[in-house]
Parts: sequence; C-alpha cells; structure tokens
Amino acid sequence: MKPGRLLGTVAFGVIAFLQIPVLVVVLAAFSKTAYLTIPPRGLTLHWFEVVLRDADYLSAAWTSLWLAAAATAGALVLGLALALAIHRRLLPGAEALSAIAMAPLVLPSVVLGVALLQYYTLTGLRGHSAGLWLAHVVITLPYVVRAALAGLTAVDPAVEDAARVLGADGLTGFRLVTLPLVTPALVAGGLFAFITSLDNVPVTVFLLSASQNTLPVKIFTSVEHGVDPGVAAVSTLLILATGAALVLAERFTGFHRYV
Amino acid sequence: MSRSNTPAALSLVTPALALLVLVFVAPVLLMLPLSLHEYVAGTGISPRWTLANYTQVFSDEYYREVVARTLQLGFGVTGLCLLLGYPLALTMARSTPRLRFWLTMLVIFPMLLNLVVRSFGWIALLANRGLVNNLLIDSGLIERPIKLMFNLTGVWLGMTHIFLPFMVLMLVPVIQAIPRDVEEAACTLAASRPRVFWSVTLPLSAPGILSGSILVFVLTISALVTPRMLGGPTYKVMATLIYDDFLQTLDWPAGAALSFVLTAMTLAIIAVSSRLLRHWGGQA
Repeated sequence: MKPGRLLGTVAFGVIAFLQIPVLVVVLAAFSKTAYLTIPPRGLTLHWFEVVLRDADYLSAAWTSLWLAAAATAGALVLGLALALAIHRRLLPGAEALSAIAMAPLVLPSVVLGVALLQYYTLTGLRGHSAGLWLAHVVITLPYVVRAALAGLTAVDPAVEDAARVLGADGLTGFRLVTLPLVTPALVAGGLFAFITSLDNVPVTVFLLSASQNTLPVKIFTSVEHGVDPGVAAVSTLLILATGAALVLAERFTGFHRYV
Repeated sequence: MSRSNTPAALSLVTPALALLVLVFVAPVLLMLPLSLHEYVAGTGISPRWTLANYTQVFSDEYYREVVARTLQLGFGVTGLCLLLGYPLALTMARSTPRLRFWLTMLVIFPMLLNLVVRSFGWIALLANRGLVNNLLIDSGLIERPIKLMFNLTGVWLGMTHIFLPFMVLMLVPVIQAIPRDVEEAACTLAASRPRVFWSVTLPLSAPGILSGSILVFVLTISALVTPRMLGGPTYKVMATLIYDDFLQTLDWPAGAALSFVLTAMTLAIIAVSSRLLRHWGGQA
C-alpha cells in the first residue's frame, strides 16, 4: 500500500473509532429486551415512551436546562464585563485578572466539587439551588472570558473611536458598535458555557440536594445499579439535541473557528 | 469608559472577581485546614492537627497503588491519543478545506456530546452483553464473555476516546503551519517519504505534540466520570477515591489531602511544560 493511502485508511479508522460509541448508544435504545444489549433484539420505541413519561427523568432534564441557561446568562454578563476591563487594560494587572478567570479550567473539577461541598456545608448553602448556580457560573466563566477576549481583539478600535467622534458617549458607542461586532464570539462562548454546564458531573454531584437531580448525574448514578435500554434512550435524545445544536451554531456563528 | 475612569473599571471587574474569590479561591483554601485534621470513624473529624493524611498518600500501599494507576493511565491514554491522533491530524492538515471542514465537524461532535453519554457508549460496547462480547461469541472465538470493563482495558479505551479530539485539535494547526517548502526541499535532496516524515515533519510539530500531550495527561489524571463509570467501584484512581472519601466513607480530611496532591501534580506538570514550550519558542 502506498504511504498516502495507508495514512488515509488509518485516519478513516480513527474517525470511525470516534463515532462508534455514539452509534452503539442509539442502536441500544431500540432493543425490546429489559437489559442493555447490542445488537438490539427486536425493534421498539417502548423505551423512549418509558423515559418521556418518567417524572424523575423529566424533572432532572428540567433542572439541567434551567441551570445551564441561568449559568450561561450569569457567565455572559460577568465574563463580558471582565473581558472588557482586561482587553482595554483599564486596571493594572490585566494578566493576573485573566489568569484568575482561567484558573477554574486548570483545577481538577472534582477538587472544586469537594471544596464547595465543605464550603457550602459551613456556610449553610448546601443543597440550595443558588449555590449550585454560583458554582456553575464559576466553571463556565472561563469559556465566556476566552471567547469575549478573542472577539474584542478582532474589533478595530478605530470603529468605536469613530462613533465617539460622531457624538456617541462611551456606553452608546459600546452598545451600538462594539457589542454587535463581538456578538458572534459571545454566542460561541455562551454555547460552550451552556454545554459545559449541561455536561458537568464532577462539581454538580456533590452539591445537589437529596430531591434534586440533573440529567447527567442521574445517568451517572443509575449506571451503578445496572443499566436498561432506558438510559440509552435518554442518551439518544441528548445525542440528537447536541447534533442539532452543533448544526445551528455552525450555521449562525461559524462555530468551528472558535473551538 | 475612558482609560482614566477607575470607578467604571472597578464596576466591570468587581462582580466577576467577587464570585471567583468567594466561590472558587475561598473554598479551595478552606480545604487546607480540613486536610490537616484526623478523621476518627464513628465520631468524625477530631480537632487534633496532623500530617498523616498527606504522609499516607506516599507511605500506604493502597494509596501508592492508586496514585501509580492514575499516572499509568495518564501515560497510557496520552500515548494512545498521540498514536491515533497524529495520523488523523496529519490527514486533516493536508486535505482540501472542504474535506477538512467535515472531518473537523466529525471530531468536534463527539467532544460536545455529554461525557456521561460517551462513557455510557463504552459500557454498551464493553459490557458482558455488549457489542464486542456479542460479536466474539457469535463468531465462535470465545464461549463466555471476557471481562473488558472494571479494569484497565475499559478505562484506558474509554478515556482515549474522550480525550482524542483535544489532541487532534491541538495538532492540526501546528502541522498546518509547517511550510511545505521545507518538506519539498528534503524531497529534492533525495530523502525518502518516511525519512522526510521522521526528520522534518515530526520534529517541526513537536511543540504541538507536547501541548496536546500535556492537555490530555492533565485531563486524564483529573477525570472522575469515565473512570467511575468504566472502572466501577473497585478499580479506583485518585479522582474516584476522592469522590468515595467525600460521599461514601465520609473521611473528608483524607479526601481533602488527596485533592491537594492531585492539584499539585497537575500544576507541576503544567509549570514544567510551559517552561519547556517557552524554551522551544525561544529556539525557533
């Protein structure tokens, strides 16, 4: 085999390796058996019906969604403000500021999880949704700051200066000129934040109250008591949602450039 | 928002900074005294100060095994990611923009997918009634399912799959940045294809290999979800031991000490590698 052909074959194999677990989950969701098995025995939508009628799954999905939405909103506001101050060097120590904002990416998530468990136990925030929300703003903030800084760097400062010359004050110039220009970067950063929050287990699992669950934590803990095709059905729904989100984000923001 | 407007600047920075200090820095620092106390089963955390939680990580047989296993996985996953990721990254870097776009999408898609779902996919593949065992039994190669989960094989494969996209995405731009002229010059000088790869392409992509490897290594040793789902409650790494210390055995001080050891390992690796990278950058 020619080296070029060999390389292409290996690359194709690796791409297949990346997709196979995803396809397997989807297949497993259609099995008629009460246990998880691949290839599926029989073909049924029964497990989707079970899952969509299950109050536990529905409330977990609801918790996951509002948490991700609220965390993204919080991170966007705080992150954009911080990125503006860093980008324009409004304060001394801009480097240190951006290092602190990025620090939650470096610390192992499980360490932040257990640290917050102790902290919230001491301060009485344990089991409170507010504590969970604050934790999720912390873990999503780096993604927004990084995206906002990238977006701001790409804006020509002359454009906002031009607005000032034409009589706009600082805030108006920002709102009418800079903000629209950084919006695609903010959408990409916000999407990353949303996905990160929706994905998180290592912090969330320590902070949920006994009656609360998020979708990934529910799947994570249910695996310990054995799995049925219902877990595969929930996973399939998440796979469809992710695929749709990726297509939409790519169409509107050219998402892959921000990865 | 002029450059001298300090109150405006403070109002931009304060909310985010307050959040990071109160919900990130303070909790981590408060875990330090916790890690220096003794845990007595039944009665809880004693007020006596001790270093025992740290010394046992290095002296206790069981802890040493868990730390060694964590590092072994770090190296194993990084090596396999490099082995699988480099050919794909090279193909992507050298393909047409259109093909590269589609390949990038196929690499990003599993990365965006919920981590729990991806780990679950590996359960579906590797379980006793999973795809691999079913295929092997149907083809008559084995009679009884072989154990692929709750051991090194399962966690190694699963984590390689999880972190491979990071490696690929770090390698592609570095390989793309290598000027084709250099390789063509080597070809002109009668170097064979493999020779060009080993003595030109590969060394020039070394900074990308290093940063990709560091990223994957650090992510692997701090991962909780995949080792727990594919390793089960018995095959433990540092992160899953911390999880059990806090939620199952309730030995919080031991878990806190192990958390700091894990954090120190992570930070040390990042510090050393960024030094190396800067050194490299200086040479180029």
